[in-house]
Amino acid sequence: MWKREIVVIFLVLLSVAGTIFSVFAYKNAKEANTITLIARAPEKGNWSPQTINVERGKEVSLTIRNTDLVSHGFYIPALDLLVGEIKAGEVERINFTVKEAGEYLFLCTIWCSEYHMQMRGKIIAR
Amino acid sequence: MKRLIPVFILTILFSQAAAGKEVRIELRAGRYSYSPGVITVNKGDLLAIKLVSEDVTHGFFLDGYDISGFVHPGETREIIIKADKVGRFTFRCSVTCGEFHPYMIGYLKVRPNINLYAGVSLVFLLSLGSLLLVLIRKKNPSNRLFGFIPMDWRMELTKFKPIRALFKSRWFPLVPLIINLFIFTVILTSGIVGGFSSSGNYNFGIMIVWILWWVILMLFLVPVLGRFWCMVCPFPMFGDWLQRGRLINVGRKKSFGLAKKWPKELRNLWPLTILFFVTTFFSGFFTVRPLASFILLAIIIGFATFISVIYEKRTFCLFFCPVSGFQGLYANFAASEVRVKDPAICKKHTPKTCVVGNENGYGCPWMEQPHDMNRNTYCGMCLECFKTCPYDNMAFNIRPPGTDLLQEPKKIAGTYGRQGFDEAFKGLSMVGIMIVFFLTMQGPFGIFKDMVRATTLGGYFTFLLGHLLLTFLALPGIYSLFIFLSKIMSGDKNASFKRVFSAFSNIFIPLGLGIWAAFSVGIILPNGSYLLHVISDPFAWGWDLFGTANIPWTPFQTGIMPYIQILFLLVGLVFSLEYGYKIAGQVFSKKGEAKRGWIPIAVFLLGINIFFMWLFVG
Repeated sequence: MWKREIVVIFLVLLSVAGTIFSVFAYKNAKEANTITLIARAPEKGNWSPQTINVERGKEVSLTIRNTDLVSHGFYIPALDLLVGEIKAGEVERINFTVKEAGEYLFLCTIWCSEYHMQMRGKIIAR
Repeated sequence: MKRLIPVFILTILFSQAAAGKEVRIELRAGRYSYSPGVITVNKGDLLAIKLVSEDVTHGFFLDGYDISGFVHPGETREIIIKADKVGRFTFRCSVTCGEFHPYMIGYLKVRPNINLYAGVSLVFLLSLGSLLLVLIRKKNPSNRLFGFIPMDWRMELTKFKPIRALFKSRWFPLVPLIINLFIFTVILTSGIVGGFSSSGNYNFGIMIVWILWWVILMLFLVPVLGRFWCMVCPFPMFGDWLQRGRLINVGRKKSFGLAKKWPKELRNLWPLTILFFVTTFFSGFFTVRPLASFILLAIIIGFATFISVIYEKRTFCLFFCPVSGFQGLYANFAASEVRVKDPAICKKHTPKTCVVGNENGYGCPWMEQPHDMNRNTYCGMCLECFKTCPYDNMAFNIRPPGTDLLQEPKKIAGTYGRQGFDEAFKGLSMVGIMIVFFLTMQGPFGIFKDMVRATTLGGYFTFLLGHLLLTFLALPGIYSLFIFLSKIMSGDKNASFKRVFSAFSNIFIPLGLGIWAAFSVGIILPNGSYLLHVISDPFAWGWDLFGTANIPWTPFQTGIMPYIQILFLLVGLVFSLEYGYKIAGQVFSKKGEAKRGWIPIAVFLLGINIFFMWLFVG
């Protein structure tokens, strides 16, 4: 009788604590070698982070998460790297390499709010 | 069908006369409505919509025509529609534009609206036809449903040995409960990581709870299985664990903690009626904002656990859980029940183990008398009585839907104030809440949406006041008027107003299920495709667990939605007419009185159903 009680206690803990633990463990494993960039309209937090540091000549894996309620876009003019519309709640992944050191502007390409023009950030390659 | 033929002829004439006109309209899309919200054209017209946006990128998807488009701010987009299908068609925003995006809706009405004419004609035909039958019939009303299904027909599912064994096992319903606990852990986690201002239509919690759970509840679980959800609901699990000291084995019989008794006067549906009504005040938040949904669920779980150490047994489920009230009331319509097989066995059996419990299970946690139950309202289907009955005298039956509506109140119902105004107002308030939900979530009026999402405090309080007045004054007022007429026309002096009011309020059970089912179809068909996205990417972290994360929003069969809605409304009407007249026979003592007293109620049903036809398809 006690055996089944312990089994059930274990199952309950597994379905609560086990679930939460595995969710975050999976997330960390998946995002180990990527940089996460969160896209929000300027008045709601803007690009986060707004400055991304990368190493010149090394491939960068960038995950852009739109956690906002409207669509955003991502564009690095100097690298001619355009990721089209990223809808609200959606996630885009891109890989790219910056060959030369310097500052690279990135910006939103979709009219997302009246402060849309301020939705910019920079990538610094060393 | 005869009534429809003139309508069809009219249509043909109409459509030929109006063919070919061109209608140009500038449609301004702004969060969260279109202006104009309702476009009316005639069949054959060529509709040229110039779509412009007032703020962010908006979309346009027209049900039935499956035409879509989108517009960025500062641009215009022309959408050409050949209005060759008649009826009312919903157009909705197809690009996530903010938290109320799923409620951004407008109507295209292509006249003549045959769907409305057909629906209203059928409502007339059914109500007046049934009234006529009632009035000319000489025989006593039969005790069969629709004259052919015997009311006492039952099919016992537990006569099959594996089902009985399952119901007697302590692993059931514990295992489904643990699976549900896992699902709700994911829901709550997604609610927290989703936060307050991320989009609800890509959030696992919002989608599973308000699109999947609510719709399954209203379309299937409640009408067919009654309180089945209560059987597998994980919310009171921790409270149970505290009270009993065991999860699967049989522990303490007396609840741990204070184990107080809930006051006698409140052992009815009043607390739940008020609590659910208050919960709907925040519907503009928890149905769209992940964090608000999390807070609501967390309050429910926390409260369930807290109440269980103050009050005995399932006091929380019976008198606190916001969604318990309508499930209990509507469960009386369900096509299944937990009942005793042979009352004679129970009569001789002392002490009643289904009430006090034994080594195999607990005494009824829902504080029912399983040996003597005649309605489903307060039976949570926890199946403890199957485990505690030494004679295997409990049965799980399939039955004709709605037989509980004819059950006269037992003595205990009088003591606790059950089956009186409490049930009547629960039934009435569910109708009022559906109207408010429909107007704010599926209606074309931006002003209501701004009120419920509280853009201004004044607007929000106007919504609360309007909701209160509609649900607790206007609707009960109109209903009272017809009850008053019914009492006078019957000529029965012994039937009290309260008795007539509460007995006839049972018509709101099939009626309510019909309108809520129609409302639910309007949720699941347009937005069901979000579910495919969220199961693959539950936390909006870019996962793709099942390869369905990139499926875009795709409305499913929204063209046939009005027909399904008409069907549900008519089914609700048919059952409310059938049971209403049978109730009239119980309320009034003589046959003639019942017939005369039934007339105003049948007219009330006719009127309210025409209103709902107009609301859904008109």
